[in-house]
Amino acid sequence: MLSARHHRNALTGLTVLACATPALAAAQAPDDSGSDWGLDISLILEGIYYNEMSEGIDTPAGFDDGHSHDHGHGHDHDHSFDDGFNLGHNELVFEADLGGLLDGTLMIGFDDSDIEAEEAYLTTRSLPAGLQLKAGKFLSDIGYINSRHVHDWDFVDRPLVNEYLFGDHGLQEIGVQGTWVAPTETYTRLGVELLQGDQDGGIAAFDDGPVSEKSGPRIATAFARVGPDFGPDHAARFGVSGGYVTQTGVTEIHGDHGHALEGDAWFAGLDAVYKYDSGRAYGHGDWNVKGEYFYVRRDLDQFDGHEHGHGHHTHMHWESADSLTEKQDGLYVEGIYGFAPRWQAGLRTEALGLTNDAVEGSHHHGDEYFTIESMDTSYRHSAQVTFRPVEPVFLRAQLTQNDFVDDHGDRDRGLEFMFQVNVALGAHGAHRF
Amino acid sequence: MKNRKTPQQRPAIGLSALTGAALAAALFLPAQASADDLNVVATTSSPGALAREIGGDETSVRVLAAPDRDAHYLDARPSFMAALRNADLLLELGAGLEEGWLPAATRGASNPDINEGQPGHFYAAGKVDLRRSITQDGPNMGHVHEEGNPHFNVDPLRMAEVGLALGERLAELDSANADVYRERAEETAQRLREHADDLAGELAPDQNIVVYHEDLDYLEEWLPATVVGYLEPAPGIPPTGRHLQSLIGELESMDGHVLYAEFQPPRGAEFLERELGWDSHAVPLDPPQNAGLDGYLELMETWASTFRTR
Repeated sequence: MLSARHHRNALTGLTVLACATPALAAAQAPDDSGSDWGLDISLILEGIYYNEMSEGIDTPAGFDDGHSHDHGHGHDHDHSFDDGFNLGHNELVFEADLGGLLDGTLMIGFDDSDIEAEEAYLTTRSLPAGLQLKAGKFLSDIGYINSRHVHDWDFVDRPLVNEYLFGDHGLQEIGVQGTWVAPTETYTRLGVELLQGDQDGGIAAFDDGPVSEKSGPRIATAFARVGPDFGPDHAARFGVSGGYVTQTGVTEIHGDHGHALEGDAWFAGLDAVYKYDSGRAYGHGDWNVKGEYFYVRRDLDQFDGHEHGHGHHTHMHWESADSLTEKQDGLYVEGIYGFAPRWQAGLRTEALGLTNDAVEGSHHHGDEYFTIESMDTSYRHSAQVTFRPVEPVFLRAQLTQNDFVDDHGDRDRGLEFMFQVNVALGAHGAHRF
Repeated sequence: MKNRKTPQQRPAIGLSALTGAALAAALFLPAQASADDLNVVATTSSPGALAREIGGDETSVRVLAAPDRDAHYLDARPSFMAALRNADLLLELGAGLEEGWLPAATRGASNPDINEGQPGHFYAAGKVDLRRSITQDGPNMGHVHEEGNPHFNVDPLRMAEVGLALGERLAELDSANADVYRERAEETAQRLREHADDLAGELAPDQNIVVYHEDLDYLEEWLPATVVGYLEPAPGIPPTGRHLQSLIGELESMDGHVLYAEFQPPRGAEFLERELGWDSHAVPLDPPQNAGLDGYLELMETWASTFRTR
């Protein structure tokens, strides 16, 4: 039913688009009360000019893709930018409602070479007592930035902690979510999620080896958030979230022998956002502060493998070795200020690996191939200026300094400049807090 | 007999409640009766004032938007979601006024009683004929009000119609007090119409106004006013020097008043005041957040008084 509905959405949407591409605005369904079908379509287009002014270290220590297990991200479409012009992250979004029973959302993400159904989910609108269910493929509601799309970000790029702990798209999984809004004066929302746990990359990355893959769902999360009422000038939201991953691990085969890790993981985090509303026009004088912290711990069993047999009849024989515990974390804090009508400026500071006891795979340590090494913290600092000539359009210039440390403890700085143009066309939905 | 659910009566939270079985069962749960006041949440203070007058002691009314803020550009705040979670009736002005935040706020409130099409969702724009919005005719700048101009809160004649419809809705939701609601709605409509007549009758005829945004256009509907220009070159775009110069060119030979909302920047209005010798006034668009009908009637007086300045 799920997929049938989404196909129908997609087909209808594409038909509408095909008929009305020259005037997309005309194709958008009149707003909520005016349309029986209630299909809203929006198109978000983004272009990015990128210039690496000085080259630093590519990958922060302990989060190397090369031989470490968990951070593979499955770089099927790499989110690093080329020097020069880039087609950024574009989205085609279809939203429809079914008679107040359900909302359906399909979000197609694309760049110049890839297209992906980033989100495709149903949300109930009819459960009593503050309950809501969501099912499909969606961005997890853990933390703050994870569930937000590029158009809602205040910086060009995803925070390091989200990218390196959860993956290039954050924690984006197929599963179900249940939430409950308490009937209290202070906004209180509790939620749990059961997620499939993509083993190709991200927090549940796993390779078949000495231990075969467990069946899904492989991730369970829970989150709670409160939003006290501070009157018309101030608003805030505080959240705590965490999750458990039933299986994560890596297998490396080096010719006639191999090494593997298999275990489970859990993570926990805090997030907070505060917004000040000056009451002036065009966001002049408004400001907000946001911050997020996440910690992940992996308890891993180590296996060493040796090939037995000859010719086509070989197999790897695995033996247990020492267990390892990997602990890593990261955070960011950002502030945005509306310094003039329609103009904003923002600063963001990030740290990755304040705790950084990371798995290293090497034949140089002696007996064990995988060991835990205590590594240094990498930092990143960004400054941006954003101009919104009309509400659905923004132009953003961002300067970012990477202060990364590598696996050998060497530190270097890189400087990047980014210029982003982001345009939302069509029935552009409401902004979340 | 009130036909609504109490927030207190809820199943225990837990994974079991979130299974498909619970979904199927919950979809068809009957509404439960309660003896509490009707909990009304209004997006802005103009419909809030009507609800206070017509709902009286039988309702409690909460207004989300502070009246000194632009209701187009609010955040979908957690505190709004908390208020909507417990609402028996959501009062929306509609026609796109709240589209930037209300859908996100209702989605976050998880309250099916206030879904579109439910008796608990009152859509004021659907109860009156709307003027055309200039966004319907101009170039699409991403801020199009397809249904028409949503700022009819400054028109007491349309608010009278909204009040009558609101009385009917309250009567439907709380049938025990149906007659009281209808009676108060009739009275409210009558007071609005009479006050509008009285104020308009005191003013000199055929007065010109320049407004900042199309948010004061509906003054034309009940006052002897004609909107002859906008300070914004297009809705949502702040005044430019070039646009103001061309306005001055058009209006040189005329006399009138410049009106703008308190939260809008005064510079354009002050420029016209200097160049044309017109008087300019920053006026509230809505009564105070906790106002009843008297607060709205006073606000009508404030609007009308700007036409007496010569």
